[in-house]
Amino acid sequence: MSNTQQLPHLTSPSLGFGLGLRTEHYHPILNSKFSESLKVDWFEVLSENYMVPGGKPLYFLDKIRENYPVVMHGVSLSIGSTTPLDADYLRDLRKLADRIQPAWISDHLCWTGVHGQNMHDLLPLPYTEETAKHVVERVGIVQDYLGRRILLENVSSYASYIDSTMTEWEFITEVAEQADCLLLLDVNNIYVSGYNHQFDAKVFIDGVPKNRVQQIHLAGHHNHGDYIIDTHDAPVIDPVWDLYEYAISRFGAVSTMIERDDHIPELAVLVEELQIARDIAAKSLEVAA
Amino acid sequence: MSQLAKLQSDFQAYLMDDVKGAAFKAHMIDDEKVGAKKRLGIYVDAYRLRIIEALATTYPKLKALLGDDLFEITARAYIKQFPSKYRNMRWVGDKMQTHLEQTLSQHPIAVEMAAFEWALGLAFDAEDAPNFTLQDLAAILPEDWANLTFRFHPSYHLLPLQHNVVQIWNALDKEEIPPNALQTNAPCLIWRMDLNAHFRSLDTTEYAALQSIVEGASFGTLCEQLQENASEEDATIQAAQYLSGWLNDGLITKA
Ligand SMILES: [Fe+2]
Repeated sequence: MSNTQQLPHLTSPSLGFGLGLRTEHYHPILNSKFSESLKVDWFEVLSENYMVPGGKPLYFLDKIRENYPVVMHGVSLSIGSTTPLDADYLRDLRKLADRIQPAWISDHLCWTGVHGQNMHDLLPLPYTEETAKHVVERVGIVQDYLGRRILLENVSSYASYIDSTMTEWEFITEVAEQADCLLLLDVNNIYVSGYNHQFDAKVFIDGVPKNRVQQIHLAGHHNHGDYIIDTHDAPVIDPVWDLYEYAISRFGAVSTMIERDDHIPELAVLVEELQIARDIAAKSLEVAA
Repeated sequence: MSQLAKLQSDFQAYLMDDVKGAAFKAHMIDDEKVGAKKRLGIYVDAYRLRIIEALATTYPKLKALLGDDLFEITARAYIKQFPSKYRNMRWVGDKMQTHLEQTLSQHPIAVEMAAFEWALGLAFDAEDAPNFTLQDLAAILPEDWANLTFRFHPSYHLLPLQHNVVQIWNALDKEEIPPNALQTNAPCLIWRMDLNAHFRSLDTTEYAALQSIVEGASFGTLCEQLQENASEEDATIQAAQYLSGWLNDGLITKA
């Protein structure tokens, strides 16, 4: 870590504090009186939801894009799968990107299916040299095709392979550096996986390349005692806020957002929760400065 | 096959059938705290629950019609029979009609409900196209009227129905007790207007009129066709009424 100072600056400046765009919030976001005072700096959209021919989803996305920066977040790239990359999917992804000009495009460091099937889940990869090499090659293809660096997100996982020869953060680092891609650090996922596999979340945060973290996810989860399931249906818990503070003190100002996919509350409730992130980041950056 | 490919293939097989694929478990760390079986079980459950939820989103009234239990049984069998090949969950339910024909053929109403809800979904996010408006129509020269043809909105769909699915759908939508399934022969027009999927039943005359116009018949031909059962004047009025109705509904787009 002694050469940290010389690392090239790869990430774009922070967009501030955002939310995942949900259909329930289309109207409150676009209600002009509200949006003037709406303390949300940007929105993340689930790419697949808008990779449709037309109608309401694209109508609202265009409207919201007129007023806010948007980033695209996918769940089906399946970057780690051993099935060839899906050319139609990439074409549709690029088409959507051409339409809405996102600040960036992300997906997950995982696989979602083989043999032409999609399991619609973010399945874990074995952390081996073979896997890293495979993923690096595919990230290269995707980045060439999209003409930009993509962000890969660490997923929550519930099982791990005996075949793994390195830690998750070593694996992520190897992939990011070899593929020259960026990272979407999900602090909640680090907490969830740390709980499920008994590693220290701070060691994970310390272990990923500082100059490649372009975005942070925060979310709530469901604790079953022996393990945690990443449900995105509840507020962020305090230990995750603590980890967030730790992450900001290491990475500096990073675009941060809250994901809520179930039990979606009123927009104002999420905006309030986002304020916690603002306050923590401000405090953490003040201490660092 | 590479080691990674084999692992993924076996993992996927396990998700689809954890009894047949049980050997895969040996690749996962088996700890005291949770154990490999329970850990993999989280993925096994999530796979089904996520798709069942997606199917319930696509087919809410089918679910209401079948009830929660039968819907879940149906959905689980569907997942087994038609594993998803789609990147987008939105398309996962595309074989439901076929599946119901095979598994619930004694309930043709369920089959038609699936067809109806699938068509509503298609209308919802079909391609956009600019509407042909009354002003556009006003710009047409009188001598061009007879040869005028129309292009229909990409969301436009004519669904032949043999049962009172629309009435049942409406009742379920209002959370009322639906009427009994009855045989009727009411074709249904489904399309998108003001960003929402719309539908209405058609009488046989309008159905025939729409069909010929969609197939490329001119306004003049439509008038002639309507003259089979009406005077020339009445037929022209009828054709004009149909046309203005279709325009108001946003069914016709600019050529
Ligand atoms: Fe995330």
